[in-house]
Amino acid sequence: MKPFHPLTFWALFSSLTVGVIAADNALVAISAVGGAALIVKFYKQDGPWRMSFQWSLIAGAVLLLIRAITGMLIGVPRIGDVLFTIPRISLPDWLPGIRIGGDVTWERLSSSLQEGLIIATVIALFGAANSVTSPHKLLRILPSRIYQLGVTLTIATSVFPQLISSISRIRQAQFLRSGRKPSIGTIAIPLLEESLARAVYLAEAMEARGFGQSKSQSRYRPINYAPRDLFWISIGFISATAMVAL
Amino acid sequence: MITFSRVSLIYPHSTTTVIEDLSFEITEGEMVLVMGHTGSGKSSLLRLINGLVPHHTGGILGGEIIVDGKSTRRTKPGELAGIVGIVGQNPLSSFVTDTVEDELAFGMESLNFPPDVMRKRVEEALDQVGLASLRSRNIATLSGGEQQRLAIATALVMHPKVLVLDEPTSALDPIASEEVLAILHRLVHDLSVTVVLAEHRLERVIGYVDRILLIEGDGATSIGEPSEILQRTDLVPPIVRLSRALALDVIGTSTREVRKYSEAIRQSAPDSPRPIFQPGEVVISLNEISAGYAEKIALNSVSLQLRQGEITALMGRNGAGKSSLIKSAVGLLEPTSGSITFGGSLAGRDICEVSQRERSQLIGYIPQEPGDLLYLSTVAEECNRSDRDHQLASGTTLAALHQMLPTISPQSHPRDLSEGERLSLVLAIALAGSPVLLILDEPTRGLDYEAKNRLMALLHQRAREDGTCILMATHDVEIVAEVADRTIFLADGEKVADGTTLEVLLASPAFAPQVAKVMSPRPWLTVGDVLRAQSSSQ
Repeated sequence: MKPFHPLTFWALFSSLTVGVIAADNALVAISAVGGAALIVKFYKQDGPWRMSFQWSLIAGAVLLLIRAITGMLIGVPRIGDVLFTIPRISLPDWLPGIRIGGDVTWERLSSSLQEGLIIATVIALFGAANSVTSPHKLLRILPSRIYQLGVTLTIATSVFPQLISSISRIRQAQFLRSGRKPSIGTIAIPLLEESLARAVYLAEAMEARGFGQSKSQSRYRPINYAPRDLFWISIGFISATAMVAL
Repeated sequence: MITFSRVSLIYPHSTTTVIEDLSFEITEGEMVLVMGHTGSGKSSLLRLINGLVPHHTGGILGGEIIVDGKSTRRTKPGELAGIVGIVGQNPLSSFVTDTVEDELAFGMESLNFPPDVMRKRVEEALDQVGLASLRSRNIATLSGGEQQRLAIATALVMHPKVLVLDEPTSALDPIASEEVLAILHRLVHDLSVTVVLAEHRLERVIGYVDRILLIEGDGATSIGEPSEILQRTDLVPPIVRLSRALALDVIGTSTREVRKYSEAIRQSAPDSPRPIFQPGEVVISLNEISAGYAEKIALNSVSLQLRQGEITALMGRNGAGKSSLIKSAVGLLEPTSGSITFGGSLAGRDICEVSQRERSQLIGYIPQEPGDLLYLSTVAEECNRSDRDHQLASGTTLAALHQMLPTISPQSHPRDLSEGERLSLVLAIALAGSPVLLILDEPTRGLDYEAKNRLMALLHQRAREDGTCILMATHDVEIVAEVADRTIFLADGEKVADGTTLEVLLASPAFAPQVAKVMSPRPWLTVGDVLRAQSSSQ
């Protein structure tokens, strides 16, 4: 299958993101993630970025949880149905209006859940865009005038997926050394060293191959918008408009 | 093509020169090997050729380097992109795009080549390295050998006059390494490309190179014909050691040549095989283990018993399932079927029932990147940590390390050690708790002959004197020939051969060590074997 234009899905998911934020509605957010999941299922690419949608879902879920917990503990009191009460910590008088603990109302919980859900959705949509279009492809259509930015972004996007595999490799090795779960600090040192070395190495390789030498870049294959690119982009715009109008 | 005149190099924040007063000239269409101990400045020298050093790394360069009429002092590496192609040690981390074709086009796109030229050159390069059938594949899915060939092709599309390669075969199995070297050979002979490469495994490249540039320990350098340079150094491949040991009239760079001169011993000496080692009781047994996913089977019903005092080598092509087997044996990868049980004092216990703490006492594991295990700031701290982990008297690990490597400084940072020193440190740590099983994953990568000899001596001593059971996955046939009692061959996740090293290595021409190729069909794998046969005939 001929690949899509690199911007197609980024345009689609960016407009969905705008729509989800504007609509601020849990149902809309959930259906956007559902739609994204379908697109990822059909169009995901091979290679290390394939999994980024799954990872972003996990990250989103963690964030949602954190948001729900902090929402219950801290915040401005809201009147409504009391679900349960947690012990309240008394704060000095000069901090009026803020409270820690106390009554947890349904309104308070649902509003923080919704906020968390919107944030998680934005992250998931970003992950979905990465899953269907490798960031490398996106970078290749950057004009080479912004050379430094191009190098930096390429390094960041290449080192990141390797980082994940390195973490598990180093963790396993250290686990076997001592039989204890290694701490973040002990993993971080070899990991940082390796990532730095990799980044320098990649920058060198790009320079040695003449990246940024010429003001204009030619294209091995012309990158054009095909009808199906336009289809997906317009789907994005239409649904975003609908969500904003909601 | 390349002229170094009185070149010296010093890196920032360093007090010692990496290269001092180096002058040489390499002409067009030559293949030159740069050799020297680890840390002798080989990589720096290679990267001086296209100006990455000092433009990219910093440092002070003295003297002048002229490549195809251009001074690297005044020319940036990017401007030399069309003249010098460079292939680094680890090709995977130098790839910029996702697919094979895009990667080939990357350099040309940067230099604004017209699309029709690009298409022609991409086809050409794909054919030169034999990757045409993989053109639209994602790079991450290629095997190690294919990645190395792609890295060479990305340099070739620019039609460079000089190709620089840093350890091009170190991560490859013998077959893939032959393929890569054959490509280089063709480039030199058909297209008059000048090739400069560094490589520790001299046995793999020595037959191909025209000249050798030797960097000695004290920084002195010399360049000359292989036969001339190899006379003066200790860093020699087995074939040279063989002709020295037999006092032949040749230095010995090619199998054919040495074969001609060693006819007599092949005719007269008796086989006198090495004594077959009788291993002790079973330490660990893998019972019909399988691993992997539905679409990709990494291991298919492999059974294996490892015994006390026995050194077992695990060989096979890249992706044959060696890593999966090792990971299963140390308990990192749970097999989809089959079981792993311990022998000895833990008789019959399944690996799942043994706690991780206990497992780390039983098994010493050296990963492919020994640096993964190190996280403290000095060698001494790492050793103390290991003493505490294994409840040993303070100083035990450090003493063991010093026994292995007296020159190592306890105050140096683990990151500043050479590959060989770092491996010694990690071995000292892994062996501190006297594990019954020692598992090494590709331990000889980046080691020079000296460090390799040290490793072999240690493995031998551990196995024979302490009865440690050793399993080592490696592509290095020479170390297998020297130390392994038993060799297991994996292909596509299945065990295809399991027997004494002699039987297994002789049966496979591609994996035969250099001495065996010279002495074929006699059953001798190492210089030691030949000498034993010789002395028993007298």
